[in-house]
Amino acid sequence: MLHFKESLVELSARERIRALMDKGSFRELLGPFDGVESPHLAKQGIVPQSDDGVVVGKGAIDGTPSVVIAMEGDFQGGGIGEVAGSKIASALELALNDNKSGEPTKAVIVFDTGGVRLQEANYGLLTIAEIHAAIVALREYSPVIGVIPGKIGAFGGMAISAGLCSALVMTKEGRLCLNGPEVIEQEAGIREFDSKDRTLVWRTMGGRQRVSTGYADIETEDDTWTIRNHISELFAKEHHPRSANIDEFHSIIRAIDTSSEVAPEDFRDIAEKKENKLSNHKKKPELENSRGKIWFEALTGQTAEDNRDAASVLCAEGKINNETASFLAVVPNKQARFPRARNGEVGLEEGWMLAEHVRKIMEEDRNREKRPIVAIVDVPSQAYGYKEELAGIYLSCAAAADAYASARMAGHPVIALIVGQAISGAFLSHGLQANRILALDDENVQVQVMSKQSAARITLRTIAQVEEAAKQVPATAYDVHSFATLGALDELIKNVHPDKPADADVEQVERTLAKTVNDIRERKSGLEHRLQTPAAVEGGRKASIEVRRLMEEQWK
Amino acid sequence: MEALQFEFQTNEPIPNRAHVGVVGSGDLEIMMEPVEEPHTSVEVRTSIQGYEKMWRLVLERFIEENNISAKVKINDFGATPGVVRLRLEQALEVSKSNVAL
Repeated sequence: MLHFKESLVELSARERIRALMDKGSFRELLGPFDGVESPHLAKQGIVPQSDDGVVVGKGAIDGTPSVVIAMEGDFQGGGIGEVAGSKIASALELALNDNKSGEPTKAVIVFDTGGVRLQEANYGLLTIAEIHAAIVALREYSPVIGVIPGKIGAFGGMAISAGLCSALVMTKEGRLCLNGPEVIEQEAGIREFDSKDRTLVWRTMGGRQRVSTGYADIETEDDTWTIRNHISELFAKEHHPRSANIDEFHSIIRAIDTSSEVAPEDFRDIAEKKENKLSNHKKKPELENSRGKIWFEALTGQTAEDNRDAASVLCAEGKINNETASFLAVVPNKQARFPRARNGEVGLEEGWMLAEHVRKIMEEDRNREKRPIVAIVDVPSQAYGYKEELAGIYLSCAAAADAYASARMAGHPVIALIVGQAISGAFLSHGLQANRILALDDENVQVQVMSKQSAARITLRTIAQVEEAAKQVPATAYDVHSFATLGALDELIKNVHPDKPADADVEQVERTLAKTVNDIRERKSGLEHRLQTPAAVEGGRKASIEVRRLMEEQWK
Repeated sequence: MEALQFEFQTNEPIPNRAHVGVVGSGDLEIMMEPVEEPHTSVEVRTSIQGYEKMWRLVLERFIEENNISAKVKINDFGATPGVVRLRLEQALEVSKSNVAL
């Protein structure tokens, strides 16, 4: 039959879904006429969109009930705010429920997003963490296929979502990376990455490069019929998700020589060989004092220098309520192999190392009581750099998020204890998959998506305007009290000295951890707990709760 | 952002509801729903301030030519009057094309 090429890239989110589903089967859930738009944008003088930039379609693919979710890149860069993120998360959660109750439901995500919508900041982080949790859970039952057609691609926290998918289809135009080129340039300088060099951008993170290096499955022509066939093909296969494939991908990272230039073409060779050889030799770690290190030592009774593998990720056992628990922290290490990850950032190696530690704990406890896992959170950011994007730092972050989520699902009580900064992709990797989040009550305990400078640049506002917005929408503020109003924080631990904890302070934190472990074991709740707290119900997550209610109502 | 409200007397209800466009740079989103009363209300939210007169002119002309009764919601991200006009016509076409949304 004669087949006319039809571009997927040129279609709107709604048309893309229609094009990928069986003819006539598309039914939109929470569509434009349901009146569920972002409650946070108009307050900041930004015109909202009726569907908040995310379209959820229920229908069929190859005759099987399916949900296809697409982001509208033209609206706010496809950024994920509270409503947009909750639409995606709740649709995936409902697909999971159907699969669990024996009703097979396929899921496809069409990515076109810059990641967290900075005007809704921490709502973006929270809902994206819920999307991560849902993908990891759903993948157990049915593959979750990601499509990255462009023009924007998949960035930020949503690149991590793509990293968690069972398989990925990309066009040459699609891009997949954690930090956008402009943000890297802002944070690390133009010598690190020149965002105006479009050729370099696509050679680093474009579809062809990602497929050639094994980071995505299929490079596709931009044609809806062809893409549909690729999706069918991928649904018919078994997948070993990349984010759970530590052996292969951590080896690639280890094989990178961090002291020399690595061109995108050189990286193809490295990725192809998959040598399990450490490139330039790791020097003895030189750990700087940080809150993460201080609390790690206080809670495990070990000095960080004794830690075998050293590097920037610490993992050791300690006690909670006389029970063995594992504690993990990412700390500043002046000798870290990758220069961009020497200040406690979650970088290429840190993500995979966190994943390795957590998976080892799971393995050890396979046939016994699952020990609690505590992520001590003091992470200033993910690492911003060219090599980071080239070697897929989004996947390192996905690996860590995947491991924590898997541990939680396996029955390990997972707690995030924020003692310092909890920023962005670093927090998504190390903390946001926990059953419960605790934080020290201190002005230097901060939760946010991006530095004020970068946030101002990306949203075309002044720093003063960014600060003003925080007064209207607490989710865009940096302090932990504002974060607490969103309902995700279980307890603010008061009156401890975060930089120099006294014995009594440590005991107080241990008591809180013990109480939290008991609560997790009793209630067995995962991330849905964050929508059930008084602060969430009273207003912090009102829109998220409403989206879930309506989505469930319209699902069947 | 500026919110504007317009009311018109009309007498031809549109057949179906319609949704077109996106709140993207230089573009706008329009939602039209049929109403029983001989009356059209238009709710505009626009990112550009101070163009109420222009909006009135574009909408008046469109309503005059088509005489349709509907509840109209517009989310605008800096569309030119020409683009607004095109999107309004597109919305009406979708409404008449019998594709129930």
